[in-house]
Amino acid sequence: MGLIDHRFEDNFITTSIDRVLNWARESSIWPMGFGLACCAIEMMAASASRYDIARFGAEVFRASPRQSDLMIVAGTVTKKMAPVLRRLYDQMPEPKWVISMGSCSNAGGPFPTYSVLQGVDKVVPVDVYVSGCPPRPEALLYGLMRLQDKIRKEGTVLRKERVIMSGDTEPTLDGSA
Amino acid sequence: MQTIITFFKTIFLVDLLKGLWLTLKYTPQPAFTFQYPAERRPTAPRFRGVLRLQTEPGTGAQTCIVCDQCAKACPDDLIALGGHREPGQKIKVLDYFDFNLSRCSFCGLCAEVCPTKPIKALIMSEDYELGSYSRDTQILRVDEMYDGVPIEQYTH
Repeated sequence: MGLIDHRFEDNFITTSIDRVLNWARESSIWPMGFGLACCAIEMMAASASRYDIARFGAEVFRASPRQSDLMIVAGTVTKKMAPVLRRLYDQMPEPKWVISMGSCSNAGGPFPTYSVLQGVDKVVPVDVYVSGCPPRPEALLYGLMRLQDKIRKEGTVLRKERVIMSGDTEPTLDGSA
Repeated sequence: MQTIITFFKTIFLVDLLKGLWLTLKYTPQPAFTFQYPAERRPTAPRFRGVLRLQTEPGTGAQTCIVCDQCAKACPDDLIALGGHREPGQKIKVLDYFDFNLSRCSFCGLCAEVCPTKPIKALIMSEDYELGSYSRDTQILRVDEMYDGVPIEQYTH
């Protein structure tokens, strides 16, 4: 993608190509097996025959980041694991997406401690947050469908900037709004 | 003798046919898969989904008495609520009810301590379809607490 990034305006040809490429991308999102905690059990259940994530074209859990499009961060990310997670994300080829699965990877969950990363979006840009503790396999499938919706609207040539959350932009409860 | 048996087994592909027969036995069985977006499996009776505020069924009146017990019971301090007293009315009027879904571990302690009777103001609903694009939308305000998080349909 590096060669044609930000080179073209939106026009008839690029939008038509976008549609075809987005259809191909949304129909074969290969996730990387990145189970860290109990959410991984639900992720495995979603890929097993009862829920069958293969119906969405996302059944091939790759062991290598080089072959995967989607990183499902399933579980508590400790600060020791965070650099590894970032390295694996960097090793994934473009286009790549991240689903943050469960309360722990969304915001740290019930562990506001020194050792746990308070939200995986501090390290990698997250596309879809799936809430739950752990989310049901259906909830993960729902998150995957939301990601497919997002991919369908995405420009292929002109991709949006990815946002990494910092401590200042993190929403907090501050009474009435 | 043993060698001869092994030889004939190899010739007639006995082990392969055994495996194929097992596969064939499972083939006519109906599919095991739930077609999730089309059919939604009923949840278990004690299933704890996302938190939900209830109104009185007939009148739609507010049942929450703004007692702040759920906010105190929450182990992660995810609930902030407040209200004001109207002159002449007996119960407090709920002004805001903010719930930080992103950290919630669905333990159900908040719904357990809710003292309102006979209709519980705060319940764990059966909704589990929770997917959002940003952290800001994971803080549920009072109208989302009443109506639930909107679920988008699968349009593929």
